[in-house]
Amino acid sequence: MFNLLRALTAILCVPLLACQANERTAGDARELDDFGVQVPSGTQAFRRIVSLNPTTTEILFALGAGDRLVGRSDWDQWPAAARRVPAVGPGLRPNVEAVLARDPELVVLYASADNRAAAAQMRAAGIATIALKVDRVSDFRGAVRLLGNVTGLGTAAFALVDSVDVVLRRVRAATANAGRPTIFWHVWDAPIITIGQGSYLDELVDIAGAKNIYSDLRAPSPQVALEDVARRNPQFILAGPVGAQVLASDPRWQVVPAVANGRILVVDTALVGRPSVNLGDAALSLARLLHPRLGL
Amino acid sequence: MRPALFWPAISSAVVLMLLMAVAFGSAPLTISEVGHALTGRGDATSIAIVQTLRLPRAFLALLVGAALGMAGAALQGSLRNALAEPYLLGVSGGAAVGAVIAVAAGMSSSGFIPLAAFAGAAFAVALALVISRAASGRAEPRALLMAGVIVGAFANAAIMVALAGAPPNTVRGALWWMMGSVADANWIQVGWLSLYTVAGGGALLWFARDIDVLALGEEPAAALGLDVDRVSRRIYLLGSLLAAATVAAAGLVGFVGLVVPHVVRAAGIHRHRALLGGSALTGAALVIGADLAARTLRPPAELPLGAITALIGVPFFLVQLGRRS
Repeated sequence: MFNLLRALTAILCVPLLACQANERTAGDARELDDFGVQVPSGTQAFRRIVSLNPTTTEILFALGAGDRLVGRSDWDQWPAAARRVPAVGPGLRPNVEAVLARDPELVVLYASADNRAAAAQMRAAGIATIALKVDRVSDFRGAVRLLGNVTGLGTAAFALVDSVDVVLRRVRAATANAGRPTIFWHVWDAPIITIGQGSYLDELVDIAGAKNIYSDLRAPSPQVALEDVARRNPQFILAGPVGAQVLASDPRWQVVPAVANGRILVVDTALVGRPSVNLGDAALSLARLLHPRLGL
Repeated sequence: MRPALFWPAISSAVVLMLLMAVAFGSAPLTISEVGHALTGRGDATSIAIVQTLRLPRAFLALLVGAALGMAGAALQGSLRNALAEPYLLGVSGGAAVGAVIAVAAGMSSSGFIPLAAFAGAAFAVALALVISRAASGRAEPRALLMAGVIVGAFANAAIMVALAGAPPNTVRGALWWMMGSVADANWIQVGWLSLYTVAGGGALLWFARDIDVLALGEEPAAALGLDVDRVSRRIYLLGSLLAAATVAAAGLVGFVGLVVPHVVRAAGIHRHRALLGGSALTGAALVIGADLAARTLRPPAELPLGAITALIGVPFFLVQLGRRS
């Protein structure tokens, strides 16, 4: 019996130890991407890259690697120069053949379960892949550093992260004593989708000096009931231009006092729409909306 | 259950469900707060929650259930097929194509989706009628059933193609619609659907005797002097349009049209006038209850109504089936 227990303990401990070892080595230079796949070693700087995610495409341009992009997804529209890179289809469940036709050395994908099979096919074709989940501000920092490493542009990556962090710190400091209104972020109407603590937008709202009424929900974009929004009674509603029109014209939304009283703040969706190089400006624009008196 | 017991039982179930649907929700209002809100007293948010959200929602669920129950009873009787239900016969597929086209065209938040869904459903029903006539030279029940299934399959394929390249939020919106919901209920919708339900249900009740005769079989019905093709076509149209109206109001709420008539028959009710009425009440109780579950089981999120009707309906159906055998 004792032996059996010892054997069991040993079996159970091995994976735990392995995990600890991983965490210890995964400091600045990550070894695994968000699919748990080995990240290509830093000795080789990739020259032909396909990026299938608006955020990573924008980061690569900001690092100065825009000229190495030989393909992007249909959704990657930023910066303006990105539109000149050939589009190879959707970023989720990508067209592997179209990607391979661009003859890339590295493909950067969004780490969604939908992309696992495609990433495996690309690796089988001898192409390096990096799958990244960029949902939180810390994910953004990690993605910049990693992309900096594999493109040999580590210094630019350090500068980019720093420039964003400086603005975020400044916004947080400026709003620190300004009172914290509660907000509801309207993402989608049918079903009603908002932001939870898993989203970078929840962090930006916090940095901009407000409290998201759904920061208790883990998911990045949870679905919620209108009755519950009314019950949580936010002081302000944040919505895109289209959403704001829907809220103002739909009689059901009048049950939320902030809507009935016209306290709808229209966010710049082009600025806050993705956790990317303009995270700092996005936080600043939110702070200006939420605290107009601070004169930011 | 004896028919004599069925009527008081199902009527009180509907009333109980309505009361519960107004009393409970993700906002924890007390019974007295709800009572005050119903009469326009108390704080503004409670009044709004009860009067603007819960009340129209409960009544819309009632109408959706009643209409689907009647549509199912009519179609099963006239097509003499226990599996016949509005959604199997192209209505849902056609409606979904209409709705998905509207969503994909960026009209996700306007009142355009219900119109598009109804148009799609009506088109699919008409198409099924045309196909069945072309196939058999007349609208005989079996050809109608086949044509409906084929139109539905084609519609599903069209939806998959339309959604294949759509952005994630559009897909999420379209899927949500296809799983059914009365979350967007308002009094205008309730008004429209009650008009359709009363008119369509009334017409079906009017033809209930014809459905009784049709249910005997094609030859006996013809021998009794019934124009079989014409009557089946009429019932098919009425049942489908009734279902299409619910789809326009609440998306696809599956399973009600299939299960509810069987439950009522298990209570010993077979004549179609009573079967239609019983199915309306049972469907109403089922959908109000399912919607209550959909919005209270996992707050603050809402679960898809169509999935809950099936989750509640299946065990209920199996129990009834077991009793009968």
